Amino acid sequence: MATTAPEHFPAHSDDHAHDHDHKPGFFARWFMSTNHKDIGTMYLIFAIIAGIIGGAFSGMMRVELAQPGIQYLDTFAKWFGAVNPDFNSTLHVWNVLITAHGLIMVFFMVMPAIIGGFGNWFVPIMIGAPDMAFPRMNNISFWLTVAGFCSLLCSAFVPGGTGLGAGTGWTVYAPLSTTGSPGPAVDFGIFALHLSGAGSIMGAINFITTIFNMRAPGMTMHKMPLFVWSVLVTAFLLLLALPVLAAAITMLLTDRNFGTTFFDPSGGGDPVLYQHLFWFFGHPEVYIMILPGFGIISQIVSTFSKKPVFGYLGMAYAMVAIGVVGFIVWAHHMYTTGLSVNTKMYFTAATMVIAVPTGIKIFSWIATMWGGSITFKSPMVWAIGFIFLFTVGGVTGVVLANGGIDDNLHDTYYVVAHFHYVLSLGAVTALFAGFYYWFPKMSGRMHSEFLAHVHFWVFFVGVNLIFFPMHFLGLQGMPRRYPDYAEAYAHWNQIATDGYMIMAASLVIWFANIAYAFVAGKKAEDNYWGEGATTLEWTLSSPPPFHQFETLPVIEEVHHH
Amino acid sequence: PQAALAAAASEPAAAATADAAASAGSYTPMAPTPGIGMPVEGGIGFQQQFSKLGEYGEWIHNSVLLPIIAVITVFVLLLLVVIIVRFNRRANPVPSKTSHNTLLEVVWTLVPVLILIGIAVPSIDLLAKQYKPAPKGALTIKVTGNQWFWTYGYPDNGEFEVVSNMLNVPGQPTINNGVREVGSEPWDGPSHLEVDNRMVVPVGEPIRLQITASDVIHSFAVPSLWFKLDAVPGRINEKVLFVEKPGVYYGQCSELCGAKHGYMPIAVEALPRDKYDAWVLTHAGGKIDGQATAASETDYLPGEEPAGDASEAPAADATAAAE
Amino acid sequence: MGNLRAGPAGCARVTYSINGDEGTMAGTKHHDYHILPPDIVPLATTIGAFTFTSGMVLFMHDMPGGHFVPWLGMALLLASMFAWFSKIVKEAHAGDHTPVVQLHQRYGMILFIASEVMFFVGWFWAFFDFSLFPSTIADVVGGQWPPKAIEAVMDPFDLPLLNTLILLCSGTTVTWAHHALIHGDREGLKKGLWATVLLGLLFTSIQAYEYVHAPFPFGQNTYGSAFYMATGFHGFHVIVGTIMLIVCLIRAYKGDFTPRQHFGFEAAAWYWHFVDVVWLFLFVAVYIWGGWGYPIH
Ligand code: HEA
Ligand code: HEA
Ligand code: CUA
Ligand SMILES: [Cu+2]
Repeated sequence: MATTAPEHFPAHSDDHAHDHDHKPGFFARWFMSTNHKDIGTMYLIFAIIAGIIGGAFSGMMRVELAQPGIQYLDTFAKWFGAVNPDFNSTLHVWNVLITAHGLIMVFFMVMPAIIGGFGNWFVPIMIGAPDMAFPRMNNISFWLTVAGFCSLLCSAFVPGGTGLGAGTGWTVYAPLSTTGSPGPAVDFGIFALHLSGAGSIMGAINFITTIFNMRAPGMTMHKMPLFVWSVLVTAFLLLLALPVLAAAITMLLTDRNFGTTFFDPSGGGDPVLYQHLFWFFGHPEVYIMILPGFGIISQIVSTFSKKPVFGYLGMAYAMVAIGVVGFIVWAHHMYTTGLSVNTKMYFTAATMVIAVPTGIKIFSWIATMWGGSITFKSPMVWAIGFIFLFTVGGVTGVVLANGGIDDNLHDTYYVVAHFHYVLSLGAVTALFAGFYYWFPKMSGRMHSEFLAHVHFWVFFVGVNLIFFPMHFLGLQGMPRRYPDYAEAYAHWNQIATDGYMIMAASLVIWFANIAYAFVAGKKAEDNYWGEGATTLEWTLSSPPPFHQFETLPVIEEVHHH
Repeated sequence: PQAALAAAASEPAAAATADAAASAGSYTPMAPTPGIGMPVEGGIGFQQQFSKLGEYGEWIHNSVLLPIIAVITVFVLLLLVVIIVRFNRRANPVPSKTSHNTLLEVVWTLVPVLILIGIAVPSIDLLAKQYKPAPKGALTIKVTGNQWFWTYGYPDNGEFEVVSNMLNVPGQPTINNGVREVGSEPWDGPSHLEVDNRMVVPVGEPIRLQITASDVIHSFAVPSLWFKLDAVPGRINEKVLFVEKPGVYYGQCSELCGAKHGYMPIAVEALPRDKYDAWVLTHAGGKIDGQATAASETDYLPGEEPAGDASEAPAADATAAAE
Repeated sequence: MGNLRAGPAGCARVTYSINGDEGTMAGTKHHDYHILPPDIVPLATTIGAFTFTSGMVLFMHDMPGGHFVPWLGMALLLASMFAWFSKIVKEAHAGDHTPVVQLHQRYGMILFIASEVMFFVGWFWAFFDFSLFPSTIADVVGGQWPPKAIEAVMDPFDLPLLNTLILLCSGTTVTWAHHALIHGDREGLKKGLWATVLLGLLFTSIQAYEYVHAPFPFGQNTYGSAFYMATGFHGFHVIVGTIMLIVCLIRAYKGDFTPRQHFGFEAAAWYWHFVDVVWLFLFVAVYIWGGWGYPIH
């Protein structure tokens, strides 16, 4: 592939061939970045800020839900700037909270952290590339995410229906989001998705091009680390799913403001059409959030077992299968909308199919560990936690996949329990696993392994307390998106809120650990996890040089029997 | 849209009966049985079911799905524990080099496939049963979701309409002006669930519910009757409701519909036919045409309905056979 | 540093050097990839985009600034994009676009077009939903397609057919330009591009004329909504494509493009073909099939 060719650099482009070890000044480095590691760092910091905001919103939700009745919404309404809110606008705050929480966690925490952050940092390094294929486009992907977030924040302070802010749920269903929500808030929300979506599409193009074209000599597709595979599949999902969302929310926009009737029945439009379009994006979106997590777990499990990944090809193609099948199961979110029986049967069957490739992944991780010589460093503990928690979330997905059963469970807390197990306990756990795995590599400082373990256990107890009782609430019929509920639901809600407090404590431990690392952490060696860690990032210094691989590494075939 | 909806859903007028009959009815709301048709404090499973479909669904969940997913989860957990015990660095200092085992890989692909097929069989069966259309002559009730209350129309009983609002919760702001507080009548059920005017239905016979909405999407859901169907503006979704035992069954709006989404509960009061008729007659214009009784069959389970109209396409979706 | 085991399957070995083990100076790159210096343009573009979207909210809600801020955002957006693409052209001249970088650009463009295809899938989805399952409940539709409220549709075999021919023709003229370019015939390149641009402008003008004289309104029912949004987004893409071709034409006059390296041209040509294909689908589905047997205007 690429070989050394200095004659490609004529004299007048000296500025391009500047001394690469020399880092640009502060403004140029952080506001004009074309460096994948710096951009990755910015994504991570951004995601952490967004995660804190989204997590704080969920805390506000949990305290309100601790007891039946409306206790705090009035106060929250005032925080958002409402003067003398009436009862409707007080209740509206609930819808704004859950909408903002869902959107922030999905679009501004998980996606930026796992794709923008870890993907940017480690995909180029793992394939032996000096940077991303389109460094400048990489930068705008990040800034568009920030712009989207700003747009979402703007929406919280302008009218949107019965009160301030967009209260449509993260799914933005019409006609609640069209005729049901006058005022600019929902438009700001829609543009938030347009902006960050455009950023994600460009990011996807960047990753696919990078992975296809910039693998170091000898790094064939079938030698790529699984994390790279996971980001590749994820990028394809983004590329093909997001534009459909863009079309759908553009229809919302024109229905709201320019008189079209895509979703307005009086003009022949169909609210259910919106749901089809949304979920055609929305279901792939959930795999977008989890696949890179799968990749991270594969790296970690292999590293700490000191074994190569079991069934590497099966693992890679299982992700491809999940991605492909993920495009043809969307209507399992719509079982109660009045689909025909044949449609429901099809989607029931198709949805359950995904459990098969996912099972391959779970069992292959287990088989990777089997026979290993495992050290239980913090990333490994988080990874094992992931495998268990994700399984719990996955199997309740299989319950929901049954159209006839979902008739009872749809839009209850059972669904909330399911998706937090795969997201807040799945994707977020994978994030923390990746964080502890790579933090010293990125920062050059070792965190405290002790604190990382404590963080895990407190988090584990906390989130299970929050979300496991939600299965019970859902089975008992408690609907989602309710700020208030019948007395009978009080017991488990109280426990969930208690769990939140424990979980929150674990985040404090995490912050303390980061602070510790920067203040007193040991300097990280190149390969601080030792012999099991074999991917290319471990051949670099911690942190890696500003531009790595100025001479491309060569991956050679080794024959051992 | 509302005019359009009304036009499309118009029913042939029922045979006229004497207006005088209207005044003949007498009705006192039924007092619900605590813990029946409503969530129970600290409950961890489904609400007790009061329809054949519900019992079937509950059986599939409790006896098929739950054991399977529990076993899978415990199996995964067990493997993890074994790994932690046997393959930690101290117990196993030298890692094996195994990275392939074709037989294993085939097994863990095929076994889940078989399990899923095992799940699919009853699951698809349940779906098929849920979608059997109502027999000819079944009583039709029109359910309309509005921000933030339900209206129930009785086209077969003289076209009267019941407007149903949640009762106010003591100590909380007024939910809907003019509605009394919950607990002020002896028959009131739990707060957040009780309404001023219930949807009264006859027990033991299939009822054709036609569900729509006037503004945004709502969802008509009653957990103890295994019933949930969205009320979508511009569509009439149709499904059979069948209640086996007299009683009051509570449900709640299950699609986000704006500020008071949490405050538009559903209360279904199922009465024996004679009491139902009496209730009908308490409404101005309410009348009994007698047709519905003919269709009643105590053990009606849609899937097993022998009625001759089985060839009829499932009418779950009135506007569009889904994509 | 020595050799390390690498690769997921543990069956590969990596040799590499970070700091000039092989006797080269640190800070000199030994590969053909394009490492860029810091650049403010992405942030400027983002600010433009954000100003534009926020301005649109102001505009749509008749809020102060609604008639000014969107234009400001648009201006910033266009200026930044101009700066961005100018840089790319300059870098091409500087020799930064090595073969592998050109390959990146090809991948990038193909993937971008793939995402655009999915965008149109959304609009076609809406169109087929409305036309295959026309609402029985809305009076304006009355269970038929085109809806009852539509008195007449456009005659597909009138101006739309002409437009189809124009676009097909422009597909050949752009290929003519390409061939001329490859064979070093710069006059042919310019002529081909001129023809393509003019045909593109002609298409847009005819489309605008059609819109003005269309027998049905923009909103009010599904027909107008699906028709105008689908064809409108197509029209927007035609305009973008035309601008790309105009830029190529200007560059052709400036002496850019060599028979071996001219990806800027190729990207415009690909995009043009994509726009062409979308039109064929629109023409067949929306214009011909979607108005079949209906009174025409
Ligand atoms: C990371 C995100 C994520 C992931 C990975 C999943 C994974 C799955 N989800 Fe989930 N889901 C969501 C996020 C996610 N989901 C969200 C956010 C919602 C709600 C959206 C909203 O309404 O707001 C939702 C809602 C949702 C619904 C709609 C519920 C409703 O609204 O009524 C359904 C229904 O089918 C469903 C199913 C599934 C299935 C079958 C999987 C499968 O992929 C799971 C597969 C995994 C396993 C099964 C476990 C491991 C496998 C084995 C150990 C092998 C053996 C197993 C068997 C044989 C069963 N999900
Ligand atoms: C990734 C997605 C995600 C995450 C992490 C969470 C996390 C949490 N969610 Fe979330 N939730 C959603 C996605 C998510 N949620 C969605 C989509 C909905 C539906 C919205 C709707 O109905 O429209 C929802 C709805 C929802 C409800 C239902 C509201 C209702 O229906 O009325 C509740 C109720 O308790 C709740 C609670 C919580 C709690 C207590 C947490 C806690 O776990 C939060 C604690 C915080 C964290 C664990 C995050 C910490 C992470 C970081 C700080 C960044 C880390 C970064 C790096 C390591 C780089 N959520
Ligand atoms: Cu009505 Cu929710
Ligand atoms: Cu899904």
